[in-house]
Amino acid sequence: MSDTLIPETGMSTSATMRRNFWLGVWRVMKRKPSRMAGVVIIVGFAFMGVFGPMFFPDHLPDNPNAITQPPSWAHWFGTDPQGRDVVALVITGSRYVLLSAAVTALITVVFGTSLGLFSGFKRGRWDTVLMRITDMKLTIPGLPLLLVLATVWKFGSPIQMGLVLGLLGWGGVARAVRAQTLSLRERGFIEAARGLGLSTKHIISKELLPSMAPYIAMNMLIAVTGAVYAQVGLFFLGVLPYESDNWGVMLNLAVFQAGAMITTNALGYLLAPLLAILLLTLGIVLVVDAMDEIFNPRLREE
Amino acid sequence: MMIIIRRLAGHLARGFVMILVVATISFFIINNIPGDPMAARYEKLIEGGMAPEAAAQAVKVLYGFQPTGTLWQQYSDFMGGLLHFDLGVSVSRPGTPVLDVLTEAAKWTVLPVLVGTLLSFLVGVVLGVYAAIKRTGKLGDALAISGSLLHGIPQYVLALLLVVIFATLIPILPADGPVDILFDPGFNAGYIGSLVEHAVLPVVTYALSAYGGWVLAMKSSVVTVLGDDFILAAELRGMKRSIVFRYIARNAILPLFTILALSLGLLLGGAVFIEKIFNYPGLGLLLIDSVNDRDYALMGGAFLLITASIIVANIVADLFYTVIDPRVRSGEDAT
Repeated sequence: MSDTLIPETGMSTSATMRRNFWLGVWRVMKRKPSRMAGVVIIVGFAFMGVFGPMFFPDHLPDNPNAITQPPSWAHWFGTDPQGRDVVALVITGSRYVLLSAAVTALITVVFGTSLGLFSGFKRGRWDTVLMRITDMKLTIPGLPLLLVLATVWKFGSPIQMGLVLGLLGWGGVARAVRAQTLSLRERGFIEAARGLGLSTKHIISKELLPSMAPYIAMNMLIAVTGAVYAQVGLFFLGVLPYESDNWGVMLNLAVFQAGAMITTNALGYLLAPLLAILLLTLGIVLVVDAMDEIFNPRLREE
Repeated sequence: MMIIIRRLAGHLARGFVMILVVATISFFIINNIPGDPMAARYEKLIEGGMAPEAAAQAVKVLYGFQPTGTLWQQYSDFMGGLLHFDLGVSVSRPGTPVLDVLTEAAKWTVLPVLVGTLLSFLVGVVLGVYAAIKRTGKLGDALAISGSLLHGIPQYVLALLLVVIFATLIPILPADGPVDILFDPGFNAGYIGSLVEHAVLPVVTYALSAYGGWVLAMKSSVVTVLGDDFILAAELRGMKRSIVFRYIARNAILPLFTILALSLGLLLGGAVFIEKIFNYPGLGLLLIDSVNDRDYALMGGAFLLITASIIVANIVADLFYTVIDPRVRSGEDAT
């Protein structure tokens, strides 16, 4: 750290460090405009999920005069078999998808991080037991398990969906955080902190967590994408009842009812949710790419 | 050698526990279905004039355990059946044992997924090396981004896009089932040709969706090896580029073989979306259909088979690593 030259109080030292960190982030972002685009896309989706559905009535009106129309100026991606505008469907459907993804992310990160930290920091018997359980969980194939669970669970609300996906998905983050903790705890600065007699709480919250934050954030984004795909996929496969409008239901209806594979009329209906997913993926990939570089100095270009 | 045997024993024990856990999940799901189809069937048989004993026996054949009796009795019945590979009888295909349905479906899953995996492995590894070496240039950037994107795009999105492009907009490839029903099954040119033609899109989808993972894995593996001291030493000694390159590739590809073994385990359960979209009668489609038909014996069996294949692949991957990496062999913990 360059700020060791200036003897100052603890508060402002950490403030300088934080500023340096954000400067680094800014520099990484600035180097490739694509990364900025990624951030813009993600923020845009967040806005769409929060505010988008406010512009539309709770139940989009059916229009028997405009059934399964191809794209036009009035309907950019055409209409569905009930005459509803596809763009409006994508926007209103985004809330379910994004809300459940947010719930999944929260559970995955809180659960995975605390488990991984505990395991990696304590080591010993608890570590072995917890990691065995994590390994077992990781072995059970996620999608088939979800399919099986779909026979007993209806996943009516996005919160429920997020909860189940989160409880199924923390294994990867736990493993990653544990590995990171194991490697960090042998580093000089942690040893120094321990030598100074600082409490475990301080070491974990002030030394370990900040240095892992980008890593955790990266894993969280990956978990979010996984959650989005899994739930859209589940609805697409048609194993869940269509209780709400969301992208997966749209895909299912487009392919298996509107016949998007046969007639080009329904193509917009199929492509709109696909494009939404692709755009979201692109945004997340670009942001993860930026985080990768912030986190991994080896990838940094000299 | 002792180490290998001890590791193998540990893995087998853990695999056994895993199978137990998954079988127990299946059991409780079958046992706790709302509406209780088992009890309903039992009542119906009795109403139909069957003696309670015979009715209970008939239900047992269907679900693997008797509808009456304590939970523990039912559980041990179910598990006892599993030990004899008795997975019950499919309800949606009356009279067919679940095991037969599964083996028939596995045929349609294994071959396309295997071809797709190996194809993407070869292409991905080669391009991954380029992505790592040229990582500061335009080509490396393009490869890395294409890898991340293809890795990030969910399989069903890829499959649907391919169908839209190659089956709907430019109809040059079929996307409806595994084979044209016009041809007689057997060893004739028409049938084989139709099989291959129908397999193109599913295989390409699978290869494309797996390709990204290989590129990224190989890239990061090569980047790590590039930073190692022995590469620097080799360069300082003035070795030829091609020889240094071989050093790099040989060391970097090791961890990928482990991933390959693991992904072969995902083979049976990895094609759910592709099979649904291309109407391919493999294990994935079987699982979906059994969920939709509420054919619980079949569902439990498919789930068990898919999990078992992953467990076996895990064991193989670890043993493979033990054999190949001397550090693990000498007893150091590599996990």
